[in-house]
Amino acid sequence: MTKSEFAFIALPISALVAPSTFAVQYLTVDQAQRAIFPGKSLTAAPVKLVPAQRKAIEQASGVRVLHDEQQVWRVSGGGWFIVDEVVGKHEFITYAVGLNANGAVKQIEVMDYRETYGGQIRDESWRAQFVGKTSQSPLKLDRDIKNVSGATLSCRHITDGVKRLLAFYEIALKH
Amino acid sequence: MKLPSSIEVRRARPLLGTIVEITVRGNNSVHLEEAIDAAFTTVAHVHRLMSFHDPLSDVSWINCHAFYKSAQVHPLTWHVLKCAQEFSRESNGVFDITTARQLVKWNYLPPLEAPLDNGSWRDIVLEDACHVRFRRPVIIDLGGIAKGFAVDRAVEALKHNGVEAGIVNAGGDLRTFGSSPQLIHLRHPGHPTRVAGAVRLRERAMATSGIYFRRRKYSGRYVSPLLHGRTRQSAREQISVTVGAANCMTADALTKVVFALREEAAPLLARYSADAVLLEQDGDPSWMFHPTCDASHQA
Repeated sequence: MTKSEFAFIALPISALVAPSTFAVQYLTVDQAQRAIFPGKSLTAAPVKLVPAQRKAIEQASGVRVLHDEQQVWRVSGGGWFIVDEVVGKHEFITYAVGLNANGAVKQIEVMDYRETYGGQIRDESWRAQFVGKTSQSPLKLDRDIKNVSGATLSCRHITDGVKRLLAFYEIALKH
Repeated sequence: MKLPSSIEVRRARPLLGTIVEITVRGNNSVHLEEAIDAAFTTVAHVHRLMSFHDPLSDVSWINCHAFYKSAQVHPLTWHVLKCAQEFSRESNGVFDITTARQLVKWNYLPPLEAPLDNGSWRDIVLEDACHVRFRRPVIIDLGGIAKGFAVDRAVEALKHNGVEAGIVNAGGDLRTFGSSPQLIHLRHPGHPTRVAGAVRLRERAMATSGIYFRRRKYSGRYVSPLLHGRTRQSAREQISVTVGAANCMTADALTKVVFALREEAAPLLARYSADAVLLEQDGDPSWMFHPTCDASHQA
Protein backbone atom coordinates (compact mmCIF):
# COMPACT_ATOMS: atom_id res chain seq x y z
CA MET A 1 0.00 0.00 0.00
CA THR A 2 1.42 3.34 -1.04
CA LYS A 3 1.55 5.88 1.71
CA SER A 4 -0.61 8.89 1.01
CA GLU A 5 0.91 12.30 0.68
CA PHE A 6 -0.22 15.94 0.77
CA ALA A 7 2.40 18.65 0.46
CA PHE A 8 1.70 22.31 -0.19
CA ILE A 9 4.14 24.10 -2.47
CA ALA A 10 4.04 27.88 -2.48
CA LEU A 11 5.03 29.41 -5.77
CA PRO A 12 7.89 31.89 -6.03
CA ILE A 13 6.71 35.49 -5.96
CA SER A 14 7.35 35.97 -9.67
CA ALA A 15 5.06 33.07 -10.47
CA LEU A 16 2.16 34.52 -8.53
CA VAL A 17 1.41 37.00 -11.26
CA ALA A 18 1.31 34.30 -13.90
CA PRO A 19 -2.07 33.52 -15.40
CA SER A 20 -3.37 30.00 -15.04
CA THR A 21 -3.71 29.15 -18.65
CA PHE A 22 -5.24 25.76 -18.79
CA ALA A 23 -5.78 23.93 -22.04
CA VAL A 24 -6.45 20.29 -22.76
CA GLN A 25 -7.26 18.42 -25.90
CA TYR A 26 -9.17 15.33 -24.91
CA LEU A 27 -10.26 14.00 -28.28
CA THR A 28 -9.83 14.73 -31.97
CA VAL A 29 -12.95 14.59 -34.17
CA ASP A 30 -11.97 11.12 -35.28
CA GLN A 31 -11.40 9.89 -31.72
CA ALA A 32 -14.66 11.41 -30.51
CA GLN A 33 -16.54 9.65 -33.30
CA ARG A 34 -15.04 6.31 -32.30
CA ALA A 35 -15.68 7.01 -28.61
CA ILE A 36 -19.38 7.73 -29.11
CA PHE A 37 -20.14 5.44 -32.08
CA PRO A 38 -17.62 2.60 -31.93
CA GLY A 39 -17.59 0.44 -35.04
CA LYS A 40 -19.95 2.70 -36.98
CA SER A 41 -19.15 4.50 -40.20
CA LEU A 42 -19.88 8.20 -40.31
CA THR A 43 -20.55 10.41 -43.31
CA ALA A 44 -20.03 14.15 -43.19
CA ALA A 45 -23.31 16.04 -43.68
CA PRO A 46 -22.64 19.67 -42.72
CA VAL A 47 -25.66 21.91 -42.40
CA LYS A 48 -25.91 25.56 -43.31
CA LEU A 49 -28.83 27.21 -41.57
CA VAL A 50 -31.07 29.71 -43.33
CA PRO A 51 -32.17 32.72 -41.24
CA ALA A 52 -35.65 31.28 -40.63
CA GLN A 53 -34.18 28.06 -39.22
CA ARG A 54 -31.78 30.00 -37.06
CA LYS A 55 -34.62 32.02 -35.61
CA ALA A 56 -36.73 28.91 -35.03
CA ILE A 57 -33.86 27.22 -33.15
CA GLU A 58 -33.36 30.29 -30.98
CA GLN A 59 -37.06 30.44 -30.17
CA ALA A 60 -37.35 26.74 -29.40
CA SER A 61 -34.21 26.54 -27.23
CA GLY A 62 -33.95 30.03 -25.77
CA VAL A 63 -30.25 29.95 -26.70
CA ARG A 64 -28.54 32.20 -29.25
CA VAL A 65 -27.22 30.63 -32.43
CA LEU A 66 -23.80 32.09 -33.16
CA HIS A 67 -22.85 30.11 -36.25
CA ASP A 68 -24.83 29.34 -39.39
CA GLU A 69 -22.70 26.31 -40.12
CA GLN A 70 -22.99 23.18 -38.03
CA GLN A 71 -20.57 20.26 -38.32
CA VAL A 72 -22.73 17.16 -38.60
CA TRP A 73 -22.08 13.52 -39.48
CA ARG A 74 -24.69 10.89 -40.34
CA VAL A 75 -24.12 7.58 -38.57
CA SER A 76 -24.59 4.28 -40.41
CA GLY A 77 -27.66 2.51 -39.10
CA GLY A 78 -29.16 5.72 -37.69
CA GLY A 79 -28.02 8.53 -35.46
CA TRP A 80 -26.08 11.77 -35.69
CA PHE A 81 -22.71 13.03 -34.54
CA ILE A 82 -22.40 16.79 -34.04
CA VAL A 83 -19.36 18.88 -33.16
CA ASP A 84 -20.11 22.18 -31.49
CA GLU A 85 -18.34 24.89 -29.52
CA VAL A 86 -19.37 27.16 -26.69
CA VAL A 87 -17.69 30.24 -25.33
CA GLY A 88 -18.01 31.42 -21.77
CA LYS A 89 -16.52 34.40 -20.01
CA HIS A 90 -13.35 32.47 -19.25
CA GLU A 91 -13.59 29.26 -21.19
CA PHE A 92 -13.73 27.98 -24.71
CA ILE A 93 -15.03 24.44 -25.12
CA THR A 94 -15.36 22.21 -28.16
CA TYR A 95 -17.50 19.17 -27.58
CA ALA A 96 -19.21 16.37 -29.45
CA VAL A 97 -22.76 15.14 -29.05
CA GLY A 98 -23.98 11.78 -30.29
CA LEU A 99 -27.71 11.51 -30.98
CA ASN A 100 -29.54 8.21 -31.32
CA ALA A 101 -31.76 7.60 -34.36
CA ASN A 102 -34.72 8.95 -32.35
CA GLY A 103 -32.89 12.19 -31.54
CA ALA A 104 -32.15 11.39 -27.90
CA VAL A 105 -28.71 12.27 -26.54
CA LYS A 106 -26.52 9.17 -26.53
CA GLN A 107 -23.30 10.66 -25.20
CA ILE A 108 -21.48 13.96 -24.75
CA GLU A 109 -17.68 14.20 -24.86
CA VAL A 110 -15.58 17.28 -24.27
CA MET A 111 -13.01 17.48 -27.08
CA ASP A 112 -11.11 20.67 -26.26
CA TYR A 113 -11.13 22.75 -23.12
CA ARG A 114 -9.35 26.04 -22.82
CA GLU A 115 -9.50 28.60 -20.07
CA THR A 116 -8.41 31.86 -21.62
CA TYR A 117 -8.00 34.82 -19.36
CA GLY A 118 -7.28 38.42 -20.02
CA GLY A 119 -3.84 39.86 -19.47
CA GLN A 120 -1.94 36.76 -20.40
CA ILE A 121 1.76 37.16 -20.52
CA ARG A 122 3.22 35.39 -23.49
CA ASP A 123 6.78 36.58 -23.13
CA GLU A 124 8.99 33.50 -23.00
CA SER A 125 11.88 35.30 -21.35
CA TRP A 126 9.61 36.57 -18.62
CA ARG A 127 8.33 33.09 -18.06
CA ALA A 128 11.78 31.54 -18.15
CA GLN A 129 12.78 33.40 -15.02
CA PHE A 130 10.79 31.22 -12.72
CA VAL A 131 10.98 27.93 -14.51
CA GLY A 132 12.78 25.52 -12.27
CA LYS A 133 12.85 27.88 -9.33
CA THR A 134 10.45 26.04 -7.09
CA SER A 135 12.16 23.92 -4.54
CA GLN A 136 10.13 20.77 -4.96
CA SER A 137 9.44 20.59 -8.64
CA PRO A 138 10.15 22.69 -11.67
CA LEU A 139 7.08 24.48 -12.83
CA LYS A 140 6.43 25.19 -16.44
CA LEU A 141 3.26 27.18 -16.27
CA ASP A 142 0.94 26.42 -19.12
CA ARG A 143 2.26 22.97 -19.77
CA ASP A 144 2.51 21.81 -16.20
CA ILE A 145 -0.91 22.94 -15.10
CA LYS A 146 -2.72 19.70 -15.62
CA ASN A 147 -5.04 19.78 -12.66
CA VAL A 148 -6.60 22.73 -10.91
CA SER A 149 -8.41 22.60 -7.61
CA GLY A 150 -10.83 25.34 -6.75
CA ALA A 151 -12.24 25.41 -10.23
CA THR A 152 -15.79 26.62 -10.11
CA LEU A 153 -16.50 26.89 -13.80
CA SER A 154 -19.83 25.28 -14.41
CA CYS A 155 -20.92 23.25 -17.39
CA ARG A 156 -23.83 25.62 -17.96
CA HIS A 157 -22.60 26.63 -21.41
CA ILE A 158 -22.46 23.02 -22.55
CA THR A 159 -25.92 22.40 -21.11
CA ASP A 160 -27.22 25.40 -23.09
CA GLY A 161 -25.34 24.21 -26.17
CA VAL A 162 -26.95 20.77 -26.00
CA LYS A 163 -30.36 22.40 -25.62
CA ARG A 164 -29.64 24.39 -28.79
CA LEU A 165 -28.46 21.25 -30.64
CA LEU A 166 -31.63 19.36 -29.74
CA ALA A 167 -33.66 22.21 -31.26
CA PHE A 168 -31.29 22.13 -34.25
CA TYR A 169 -32.04 18.42 -34.64
CA GLU A 170 -35.80 19.02 -34.61
CA ILE A 171 -35.62 21.85 -37.11
CA ALA A 172 -32.74 20.99 -39.42
CA LEU A 173 -32.00 17.23 -39.20
CA LYS A 174 -35.23 15.36 -38.48
CA HIS A 175 -37.09 15.10 -41.76
CA MET B 1 10.85 -1.16 -9.42
CA LYS B 2 7.82 -1.08 -11.67
CA LEU B 3 8.16 0.56 -15.06
CA PRO B 4 6.00 3.63 -15.51
CA SER B 5 2.87 2.97 -17.51
CA SER B 6 3.22 4.28 -20.98
CA ILE B 7 -0.27 5.30 -22.08
CA GLU B 8 -2.35 8.10 -20.60
CA VAL B 9 -6.02 8.48 -21.48
CA ARG B 10 -7.88 11.63 -20.48
CA ARG B 11 -11.58 12.25 -20.96
CA ALA B 12 -14.08 14.87 -19.79
CA ARG B 13 -17.86 14.97 -19.70
CA PRO B 14 -20.34 17.53 -18.37
CA LEU B 15 -21.79 16.05 -15.18
CA LEU B 16 -22.65 17.12 -11.62
CA GLY B 17 -23.03 20.72 -12.80
CA THR B 18 -19.37 20.87 -13.72
CA ILE B 19 -16.93 19.23 -16.07
CA VAL B 20 -15.78 15.90 -14.70
CA GLU B 21 -12.39 14.83 -15.92
CA ILE B 22 -10.88 11.36 -15.64
CA THR B 23 -7.22 10.66 -16.36
CA VAL B 24 -5.84 7.12 -16.22
CA ARG B 25 -2.52 5.52 -16.98
CA GLY B 26 -1.80 1.98 -18.05
CA ASN B 27 -0.58 -0.16 -20.88
CA ASN B 28 -3.71 -0.98 -22.85
CA SER B 29 -5.69 1.93 -24.28
CA VAL B 30 -8.81 -0.10 -25.09
CA HIS B 31 -8.91 -1.36 -21.55
CA LEU B 32 -8.35 2.13 -20.15
CA GLU B 33 -11.17 3.56 -22.26
CA GLU B 34 -13.55 0.85 -21.09
CA ALA B 35 -12.65 1.60 -17.48
CA ILE B 36 -13.23 5.33 -18.03
CA ASP B 37 -16.65 4.58 -19.53
CA ALA B 38 -17.56 2.52 -16.48
CA ALA B 39 -16.38 5.31 -14.16
CA PHE B 40 -18.41 7.97 -16.00
CA THR B 41 -21.44 5.68 -15.78
CA THR B 42 -21.16 5.61 -11.98
CA VAL B 43 -20.76 9.42 -11.85
CA ALA B 44 -23.84 9.83 -14.06
CA HIS B 45 -25.74 7.54 -11.71
CA VAL B 46 -24.81 9.65 -8.67
CA HIS B 47 -25.79 12.75 -10.66
CA ARG B 48 -29.23 11.31 -11.48
CA LEU B 49 -29.86 10.36 -7.85
CA MET B 50 -28.57 13.46 -6.09
CA SER B 51 -29.09 16.44 -8.36
CA PHE B 52 -31.13 19.25 -6.83
CA HIS B 53 -31.97 20.46 -10.35
CA ASP B 54 -33.34 17.19 -11.72
CA PRO B 55 -37.02 16.80 -10.76
CA LEU B 56 -36.65 13.01 -11.01
CA SER B 57 -33.74 12.72 -8.55
CA ASP B 58 -33.96 11.24 -5.06
CA VAL B 59 -33.15 14.67 -3.65
CA SER B 60 -36.14 16.22 -5.45
CA TRP B 61 -38.27 13.28 -4.36
CA ILE B 62 -37.57 13.72 -0.66
CA ASN B 63 -37.71 17.52 -0.89
CA CYS B 64 -41.27 17.09 -2.14
CA HIS B 65 -42.45 14.13 -0.11
CA ALA B 66 -40.37 13.45 3.01
CA PHE B 67 -42.18 15.92 5.25
CA TYR B 68 -45.64 14.41 5.03
CA LYS B 69 -44.51 10.82 5.25
CA SER B 70 -41.41 8.67 4.93
CA ALA B 71 -39.92 8.63 1.44
CA GLN B 72 -37.75 5.83 0.16
CA VAL B 73 -34.48 6.55 -1.63
CA HIS B 74 -31.76 4.56 -3.38
CA PRO B 75 -29.21 2.96 -1.00
CA LEU B 76 -26.46 5.25 -2.38
CA THR B 77 -28.50 8.38 -1.61
CA TRP B 78 -29.27 7.01 1.83
CA HIS B 79 -25.56 6.38 2.40
CA VAL B 80 -24.65 9.96 1.45
CA LEU B 81 -27.43 11.32 3.69
CA LYS B 82 -26.07 9.21 6.55
CA CYS B 83 -22.56 10.58 5.98
CA ALA B 84 -23.94 14.14 5.77
CA GLN B 85 -25.67 13.64 9.11
CA GLU B 86 -22.42 12.40 10.62
CA PHE B 87 -20.52 15.48 9.37
CA SER B 88 -23.29 17.66 10.85
CA ARG B 89 -23.04 15.90 14.19
CA GLU B 90 -19.22 16.01 14.25
CA SER B 91 -19.15 19.70 13.28
CA ASN B 92 -21.99 20.58 15.63
CA GLY B 93 -24.15 21.79 12.77
CA VAL B 94 -21.60 23.88 10.87
CA PHE B 95 -22.03 21.43 8.00
CA ASP B 96 -25.74 21.28 7.25
CA ILE B 97 -27.47 20.12 4.06
CA THR B 98 -30.67 22.01 4.97
CA THR B 99 -28.93 25.30 4.12
CA ALA B 100 -30.54 24.66 0.70
CA ARG B 101 -33.29 26.98 1.95
CA GLN B 102 -30.89 29.97 1.90
CA LEU B 103 -29.35 28.86 -1.41
CA VAL B 104 -32.79 28.87 -3.04
CA LYS B 105 -33.57 32.27 -1.55
CA TRP B 106 -30.30 33.71 -2.91
CA ASN B 107 -30.87 32.11 -6.33
CA TYR B 108 -27.91 29.75 -6.16
CA LEU B 109 -30.40 26.93 -6.55
CA PRO B 110 -33.47 26.92 -8.78
CA PRO B 111 -36.74 28.08 -7.23
CA LEU B 112 -38.57 25.58 -5.13
CA GLU B 113 -41.33 26.08 -2.62
CA ALA B 114 -38.91 26.95 0.15
CA PRO B 115 -40.17 26.49 3.69
CA LEU B 116 -40.33 29.46 6.00
CA ASP B 117 -39.55 27.28 8.97
CA ASN B 118 -36.09 27.33 10.50
CA GLY B 119 -35.40 23.62 10.36
CA SER B 120 -31.95 22.06 10.46
CA TRP B 121 -30.13 18.76 9.95
CA ARG B 122 -31.61 17.60 13.26
CA ASP B 123 -35.02 17.44 11.57
CA ILE B 124 -33.85 14.78 9.12
CA VAL B 125 -34.66 11.28 10.31
CA LEU B 126 -33.02 8.34 8.59
CA GLU B 127 -35.20 5.31 9.04
CA ASP B 128 -34.75 1.66 8.18
CA ALA B 129 -34.90 0.32 4.64
CA CYS B 130 -33.58 3.55 3.10
CA HIS B 131 -36.50 5.68 4.24
CA VAL B 132 -36.11 9.37 4.99
CA ARG B 133 -38.48 11.58 6.95
CA PHE B 134 -38.37 15.29 7.80
CA ARG B 135 -39.71 16.32 11.20
CA ARG B 136 -40.13 19.86 9.93
CA PRO B 137 -40.56 21.10 6.36
CA VAL B 138 -36.88 21.40 5.40
CA ILE B 139 -35.32 21.08 1.97
CA ILE B 140 -31.89 19.61 1.35
CA ASP B 141 -29.12 19.98 -1.18
CA LEU B 142 -26.26 17.48 -1.39
CA GLY B 143 -24.10 19.86 -3.44
CA GLY B 144 -21.50 20.06 -0.68
CA ILE B 145 -20.87 16.36 -0.52
CA ALA B 146 -22.26 14.43 -3.53
CA LYS B 147 -19.52 15.58 -5.89
CA GLY B 148 -16.91 14.14 -3.53
CA PHE B 149 -18.91 10.94 -3.22
CA ALA B 150 -19.14 10.66 -7.02
CA VAL B 151 -15.36 11.07 -7.29
CA ASP B 152 -14.86 8.25 -4.77
CA ARG B 153 -17.25 6.00 -6.67
CA ALA B 154 -15.48 6.74 -9.94
CA VAL B 155 -12.10 5.86 -8.40
CA GLU B 156 -13.57 2.60 -7.10
CA ALA B 157 -14.93 1.81 -10.57
CA LEU B 158 -11.54 2.47 -12.16
CA LYS B 159 -9.74 0.26 -9.63
CA HIS B 160 -12.39 -2.42 -10.01
CA ASN B 161 -11.65 -2.39 -13.74
CA GLY B 162 -7.96 -2.98 -13.11
CA VAL B 163 -6.64 0.57 -13.51
CA GLU B 164 -3.61 1.19 -11.29
CA ALA B 165 -3.11 4.93 -11.54
CA GLY B 166 -5.20 7.98 -12.29
CA ILE B 167 -7.05 11.10 -11.21
CA VAL B 168 -10.73 11.92 -11.10
CA ASN B 169 -11.41 15.66 -10.94
CA ALA B 170 -14.96 16.97 -10.60
CA GLY B 171 -14.52 20.71 -10.91
CA GLY B 172 -11.78 20.86 -8.31
CA ASP B 173 -12.91 18.04 -6.03
CA LEU B 174 -10.47 15.32 -6.91
CA ARG B 175 -8.74 12.13 -5.93
CA THR B 176 -5.51 10.57 -7.10
CA PHE B 177 -4.48 6.96 -6.95
CA GLY B 178 -1.36 5.11 -7.98
CA SER B 179 2.25 5.23 -6.89
CA SER B 180 3.43 8.51 -8.39
CA PRO B 181 2.46 11.88 -6.88
CA GLN B 182 0.53 14.42 -8.93
CA LEU B 183 0.89 18.17 -8.89
CA ILE B 184 -2.44 19.95 -8.38
CA HIS B 185 -2.53 23.72 -8.76
CA LEU B 186 -4.64 25.91 -6.53
CA ARG B 187 -6.48 28.94 -7.76
CA HIS B 188 -5.50 32.28 -6.29
CA PRO B 189 -8.41 33.27 -3.98
CA GLY B 190 -8.15 36.96 -4.80
CA HIS B 191 -7.45 36.43 -8.51
CA PRO B 192 -9.24 33.23 -9.53
CA THR B 193 -7.75 33.43 -13.00
CA ARG B 194 -4.31 32.77 -11.56
CA VAL B 195 -2.66 30.05 -9.56
CA ALA B 196 -1.39 30.66 -6.05
CA GLY B 197 0.42 27.44 -5.33
CA ALA B 198 0.32 23.74 -5.81
CA VAL B 199 -0.16 20.60 -3.79
CA ARG B 200 1.73 17.41 -4.42
CA LEU B 201 -0.76 14.65 -3.89
CA ARG B 202 -0.46 10.88 -3.83
CA GLU B 203 -3.12 8.30 -2.98
CA ARG B 204 -5.26 11.01 -1.53
CA ALA B 205 -8.32 13.14 -2.17
CA MET B 206 -8.49 16.90 -2.11
CA ALA B 207 -11.17 19.55 -2.35
CA THR B 208 -11.02 23.34 -2.45
CA SER B 209 -13.73 25.81 -1.55
CA GLY B 210 -13.62 29.48 -2.32
CA ILE B 211 -16.05 32.14 -3.35
CA TYR B 212 -14.18 32.91 -6.59
CA PHE B 213 -16.67 34.02 -9.21
CA ARG B 214 -19.74 33.27 -7.14
CA ARG B 215 -20.26 36.33 -4.95
CA ARG B 216 -23.65 38.00 -5.48
CA LYS B 217 -25.68 40.84 -4.14
CA TYR B 218 -28.87 40.03 -2.31
CA SER B 219 -30.95 42.75 -0.66
CA GLY B 220 -28.08 45.18 -0.81
CA ARG B 221 -25.41 42.95 0.70
CA TYR B 222 -23.02 40.40 -0.68
CA VAL B 223 -23.71 36.71 -0.24
CA SER B 224 -21.94 33.54 -1.33
CA PRO B 225 -22.97 29.89 -1.52
CA LEU B 226 -20.65 28.99 1.37
CA LEU B 227 -22.74 29.00 4.52
CA HIS B 228 -22.16 28.44 8.19
CA GLY B 229 -24.83 25.87 8.98
CA ARG B 230 -25.59 27.13 12.46
CA THR B 231 -25.50 30.90 11.97
CA ARG B 232 -26.67 30.71 8.31
CA GLN B 233 -24.27 33.55 7.58
CA SER B 234 -22.52 33.31 4.24
CA ALA B 235 -18.79 33.68 3.94
CA ARG B 236 -17.60 36.91 2.39
CA GLU B 237 -13.82 36.81 2.66
CA GLN B 238 -12.07 35.99 -0.57
CA ILE B 239 -10.05 33.19 0.96
CA SER B 240 -9.84 29.60 -0.16
CA VAL B 241 -9.73 26.41 1.84
CA THR B 242 -8.15 23.22 0.56
CA VAL B 243 -8.58 19.98 2.46
CA GLY B 244 -6.76 16.70 1.86
CA ALA B 245 -8.33 13.48 3.11
CA ALA B 246 -8.38 9.76 2.48
CA ASN B 247 -11.59 10.07 0.47
CA CYS B 248 -13.08 12.90 -1.54
CA MET B 249 -16.46 13.01 0.20
CA THR B 250 -14.70 13.78 3.49
CA ALA B 251 -12.47 16.40 1.85
CA ASP B 252 -15.50 17.98 0.16
CA ALA B 253 -17.53 18.22 3.38
CA LEU B 254 -14.63 19.43 5.53
CA THR B 255 -13.78 22.38 3.26
CA LYS B 256 -17.13 23.92 4.23
CA VAL B 257 -16.41 23.46 7.92
CA VAL B 258 -12.89 24.91 7.73
CA PHE B 259 -14.23 27.84 5.71
CA ALA B 260 -16.59 28.69 8.55
CA LEU B 261 -14.38 27.82 11.52
CA ARG B 262 -10.83 28.39 10.26
CA GLU B 263 -8.29 27.32 12.92
CA GLU B 264 -11.05 26.12 15.22
CA ALA B 265 -11.63 23.24 12.82
CA ALA B 266 -8.30 21.65 13.84
CA PRO B 267 -9.76 19.01 16.21
CA LEU B 268 -12.24 17.93 13.55
CA LEU B 269 -9.52 17.73 10.89
CA ALA B 270 -7.43 15.64 13.28
CA ARG B 271 -10.34 13.26 13.84
CA TYR B 272 -10.59 12.67 10.08
CA SER B 273 -6.79 12.63 9.58
CA ALA B 274 -7.23 15.48 7.15
CA ASP B 275 -4.82 18.19 6.00
CA ALA B 276 -5.83 21.78 5.36
CA VAL B 277 -4.35 24.84 3.68
CA LEU B 278 -6.00 28.23 4.05
CA LEU B 279 -5.03 30.83 1.45
CA GLU B 280 -5.69 34.49 2.18
CA GLN B 281 -6.91 36.97 -0.40
CA ASP B 282 -3.30 37.84 -1.29
CA GLY B 283 -2.62 34.18 -2.07
CA ASP B 284 -0.43 33.55 0.96
CA PRO B 285 -1.08 30.51 3.10
CA SER B 286 -2.09 31.82 6.53
CA TRP B 287 -2.78 28.49 8.13
CA MET B 288 -1.81 24.91 7.45
CA PHE B 289 -2.83 21.82 9.31
CA HIS B 290 -1.35 18.36 9.03
CA PRO B 291 -2.53 15.43 11.10
CA THR B 292 0.11 13.76 13.22
CA CYS B 293 1.96 11.00 11.45
CA ASP B 294 0.79 8.21 13.72
CA ALA B 295 -2.88 8.93 13.12
CA SER B 296 -4.51 6.17 11.14
CA HIS B 297 -6.25 7.30 8.01
CA GLN B 298 -9.93 6.97 8.19
CA ALA B 299 -11.33 5.33 5.11
